[in-house]
Amino acid sequence: MPDYTLTANTPLDGFSRDFVGVSICEVNERAIVSVAVPKDGEEKLANALASSYEIELPKAGILSAASLDNAVLFSMAQDQYFLVFDYAGNTATSVVRSHLNDAAYLTDQSDSFVMIRVSGTNSRSLLERICPLDIHPSVFPIGSVARTVMEHLGTTIIHEAEDSFLLLSARSSTYSFLDAIETSAVNIS
Amino acid sequence: MIINHPLLGPRDASEFVYKGDVSLIDRPDWQADNAAELFHDYLYLRDNPAGEHRELWYHEQGDRSWLIVTRNTLTHDITNVELARDVALAKQANQSGRGEK
Amino acid sequence: MSQINRIDSGLIDCAQKLNFTFNGQTLEGFAGDTLASALLANGYKMVGRSFKYHRPRGIFSAGSEEPNALIQLRSGAYQEPNTRATVTELFQGLEATSQNHRGSLKYDFMAVNDLFSSFLSAGFYYKTFMWPKAFWEKIYEPVIRAAAGLGRLSGEDDPDVYDKGFLHCDVLVVGAGPSGLSAALSAGRAGARVILMDEDFRMGGRLNAETLSVNDQSGHEWATQATVELSAMDNVRLMTRTTAYGAYDHGVIGALERVTDHLVSSHNKPRQILWRVYTKRTILCAGSTERPIAFGNNDRPGIMLAGAVRAYVNRWGALPGKRVAVFTNNDDGWRTAIDLAEKGVEISAVIDSRDGQPPVDVPSGATVIMGGRIVDTHGRHGIRSITLSNGQNIPTDCLAVSGGWSPNVQLTCHQRGRPTWREDIAAFVPGGELPQGMMVAGAAAGNFSLSSVLQDGHDLGNMAVSDLGFKLTKENAAISEEETIGISAFWHVKESKARAWLDLQNDVTVKDVKLSHQEGFRSVEHLKRYTTLGMATDQGKTANIPALAVMAECTGKSIPETGTTIFRPPYTPVAIGALAGRARGKDFRPSRLTPSHAWAEEQGAVFVETGMWYRAQWFPKSGETHWRQSVDREVTQTRASVGICDVTTLGKIDIQGKDAAAFLNKIYANAFAKLPVGKVRYGIMLREDGIMMDDGTSARFSDNHFVMTTTTANAVGVFRHMEFCRQCLWPEMDVHLISSTEQYAQFAVAGPNARKLLQKVVDNDHDISNEAFPFMACGEITVCGDIPARLFRISFSGELAYEIAVPTRYGDSLVRTLMAAGEEFDVTSYGTEALGVMRIEKGHAAGNELNGQTTAQDLGMGRMVSKKKDCIGNTLSERESLNKNDGLSLVGFRPVNPSDELKAGTHFLAKGKTANMANDEGWMSSVAYSPNLGHSIGLGFIKQGSERMGEVVRAADPLRGGEIEVEIVSAHFIDPEGERLRA
Repeated sequence: MPDYTLTANTPLDGFSRDFVGVSICEVNERAIVSVAVPKDGEEKLANALASSYEIELPKAGILSAASLDNAVLFSMAQDQYFLVFDYAGNTATSVVRSHLNDAAYLTDQSDSFVMIRVSGTNSRSLLERICPLDIHPSVFPIGSVARTVMEHLGTTIIHEAEDSFLLLSARSSTYSFLDAIETSAVNIS
Repeated sequence: MIINHPLLGPRDASEFVYKGDVSLIDRPDWQADNAAELFHDYLYLRDNPAGEHRELWYHEQGDRSWLIVTRNTLTHDITNVELARDVALAKQANQSGRGEK
Repeated sequence: MSQINRIDSGLIDCAQKLNFTFNGQTLEGFAGDTLASALLANGYKMVGRSFKYHRPRGIFSAGSEEPNALIQLRSGAYQEPNTRATVTELFQGLEATSQNHRGSLKYDFMAVNDLFSSFLSAGFYYKTFMWPKAFWEKIYEPVIRAAAGLGRLSGEDDPDVYDKGFLHCDVLVVGAGPSGLSAALSAGRAGARVILMDEDFRMGGRLNAETLSVNDQSGHEWATQATVELSAMDNVRLMTRTTAYGAYDHGVIGALERVTDHLVSSHNKPRQILWRVYTKRTILCAGSTERPIAFGNNDRPGIMLAGAVRAYVNRWGALPGKRVAVFTNNDDGWRTAIDLAEKGVEISAVIDSRDGQPPVDVPSGATVIMGGRIVDTHGRHGIRSITLSNGQNIPTDCLAVSGGWSPNVQLTCHQRGRPTWREDIAAFVPGGELPQGMMVAGAAAGNFSLSSVLQDGHDLGNMAVSDLGFKLTKENAAISEEETIGISAFWHVKESKARAWLDLQNDVTVKDVKLSHQEGFRSVEHLKRYTTLGMATDQGKTANIPALAVMAECTGKSIPETGTTIFRPPYTPVAIGALAGRARGKDFRPSRLTPSHAWAEEQGAVFVETGMWYRAQWFPKSGETHWRQSVDREVTQTRASVGICDVTTLGKIDIQGKDAAAFLNKIYANAFAKLPVGKVRYGIMLREDGIMMDDGTSARFSDNHFVMTTTTANAVGVFRHMEFCRQCLWPEMDVHLISSTEQYAQFAVAGPNARKLLQKVVDNDHDISNEAFPFMACGEITVCGDIPARLFRISFSGELAYEIAVPTRYGDSLVRTLMAAGEEFDVTSYGTEALGVMRIEKGHAAGNELNGQTTAQDLGMGRMVSKKKDCIGNTLSERESLNKNDGLSLVGFRPVNPSDELKAGTHFLAKGKTANMANDEGWMSSVAYSPNLGHSIGLGFIKQGSERMGEVVRAADPLRGGEIEVEIVSAHFIDPEGERLRA
């Protein structure tokens, strides 16, 4: 065994900050695994999901939520989904593989994103400054998901709960992304 | 501009990257006798109409779909948006269908 | 002087006094005032000097169309020139100064320009400054530059904060006058998501400036009531101080909200917000703009638009003059006379250009002249009297002029709309193709009577929401009294001998238009550019139509035959700061940081921006005073022992699927189908035209799983290209792509001790000996106790080298661990400069060589391009022109005199040949100082280079000057046999 150990860090070291009417906090200990559908393999994957996570393959823009590991599944591209679930270990794909076997091509994306939750009564006012999408509850109800661009950065936005949005953006530009969100919070206050 | 994505609905053009004329999906057969000529035409001879144009757009900041957008270059009116993959697959099915006859 | 011209409270709040200064004089106004109304209330007439002739100018309008009353606001870095006093909301402590004069406003030295006006006519620039040619740069240009412009910029950075944002609605109503309020009410009541915006700080538009009643109450009371009803609706957003400045494709409207311009300080909150508004329907209720009539000396302070005069009296209780005359060609002008008379203001005369009977009851005491003409005015710093065509002279200190109203069609023209002429109202109305989803209501559509405006807004509000599937409410439109709106076109007084102004802001007169016609300018667009008419910051809102009429007269055509210029965004000026928004300084674009960034910062690394990435360029050690010392040390230490470099920025693409290998075989020009599992291969990617696109490696982790690396610069482009190939060219393949660039922290560990160092962190059950893990091997391993990692035995430096990747969360920890574990080997970290030196020493191509004009053959890799398979670019790479015998090839260069320094970008010439394009043989693409060889080395492309080893040529630098002799050598300066990397 080597004499050395490695310690993990999170993109924002557990950042959390409250503003008037809106809170910004990093979300951790959730794994992200890309689930790609093999050619002509949709039915097989749907069956595997049904028998393990007890969810269906979601339509674009909508979350499928499972109780197993608090997993949510949503479409990222044609024939490609993201499964996000409670897990803090290093081998997220093996967890998913234990459920889905070879029904999908899996790629670990857990370290690819920073996850930031924006919540509170002013969350929509904040997002109005950076999110080009219409996130009014009438068109983007709870359980909706979309990928778009915020301040030049590709961002996935999930409407988790009333006045609560989860944002996923690339890990390397975490600080620019956080700066965009915090600036918005300051500007609307 | 706003492109009405067939799967995701209306999205701002700033999420997309433009490529060019739709004929770029019709890549010639490399084994054709006149392959060099075919590739030359494929790459360099494309229409640039003032009016309706079928063109390729990539949803880079979205679901990474390649789309075929029918856009009027004079008015920016967009009359049709298709998934390029569907069009390419249909074209292949069509060609193999003809081959069997 | 305390508000001598304030006659009553109008709609302002007299309980709230506000002090402000104009040209240093402290004055008083009230909350609800604009700077213009406060200046008028304080008896000010002259507020500035004109652009070209430095003529005294006063307040002309009561809105955003103002051409004259441009003042400078605030001071220091906050100084803002060319602000319209008519839309500047008064606040406590406001500082304003007049513009465009040397010396005082009253005694401006530049007013001498007015005496030379005959030299400053249309096109004077083009005529006067043509010769002598040499005078332009030395004399004309500096003098013109000093004299030109109106206000002055502070020259300092804009200290204000700006923001931008996105709004979405079913219906956007632009303008909150009677039609806009009606439209918003009917759309809002039906439940649609409505945004109502108005540039004013008070909703109501002209209802605030008129005495007409609506629903049996005063118009402004009705407007207030409507605003209250709207603000109670959750589905309605009211935005005052917000201008819809542009109509873009597919229902997108640009709007500027002035958030803190009416406050003494913005307190570091955004001063203005630029909104992008996504609309399903837009109802344009922008109203109309009154236009003047041109007659002699019609630009004096005190000569104002008739509607503005009554707006100042009705809304602000500010009286522009004590003896007011009216000159009109329409019924609406009379309303000014009536409203003022009712407030007890003396009306000296009403002059109507039309013959016949007055359209309304004449205010008592007023002289009425039907069929009248004003030919001249008098009064140096403000109007004192007018002269009629019959010679009659009438004393007056304010002249209200109405030439009729032009619908505000601007936004309808921002796409393809072309206004059409309506003779009955003598005005252009919206026509042609309107922007998508746009409808026009009220005065903007040419409906001028209040009752029709209210009905029109109501109807279009209903129409918009019923189009969108909402159920309409049964409410009716508000009702108002009827009014007369007759007009007979009358544009300028032909009998006037004195100059008659059309464009007040750019000082363009009737004579200028006639002259340009005489000189052959027939098209309106040419006229505009030659005379500069309508090209000032007001875009000719009050000037264009009268000028067009004069032009039409010259050509003997009708106005519609003459045509009109169209409008572009913005409707009113938008500050560059607002367009920039937050994108200033470090916020211009995002920055990407590598996993070792924090550690590198601690080491004092110097960073370089490569795209959005910040990469360590070198790591200075104490005592090193020049970057070369650091870089030389990093190279030497790496080649002597071991070095570590963060290579996370290289693009990484995870490729999976049954057809993954077949797919890569089509993407890369060289063969990949048979790459064994556990191996890495270098690959070259061509564009379809046969030119090199990118290079990198792909590692095979299982039959169906590859990991590709791309260059840092091309990561995004290569991924896009591969998605295109996957979706559009070979959609039948079972292959999936996903970026894993962000997922792994990847470090190059290079040098003779690289393996020894790695063995200290790799878990024991993974054998990385040369036998078990040879050059170009790859594998999934674990490090430091079961942390998953990927190891690649690849080398960019030419040394025994690996790249090790761990999940990004361990990146910071791994670099610290490797540096600690490497202490016994005297490990060094190295940056991009040392990386560059080592790859040049090794002869590896990089971005400088893959510059979009080189082929695999040029790079000496022509044989790698497989002829046996279909891949992107192979057919056209065989083109004759890319395969000439005298083609370029990549070789090394060293200076004949070892102390000479090579320069990238120099061009190669044979000895004795003149430095011209015909003799050009190629260019130097990359250079570095090689600490191992002790001299400068370079890579470059030269014709038939591989056959010219040992030949001496000249490397000439015609741009920077100088040339040196260089010898053509092998590009592999170090370890040409490649023994080190296989060690």
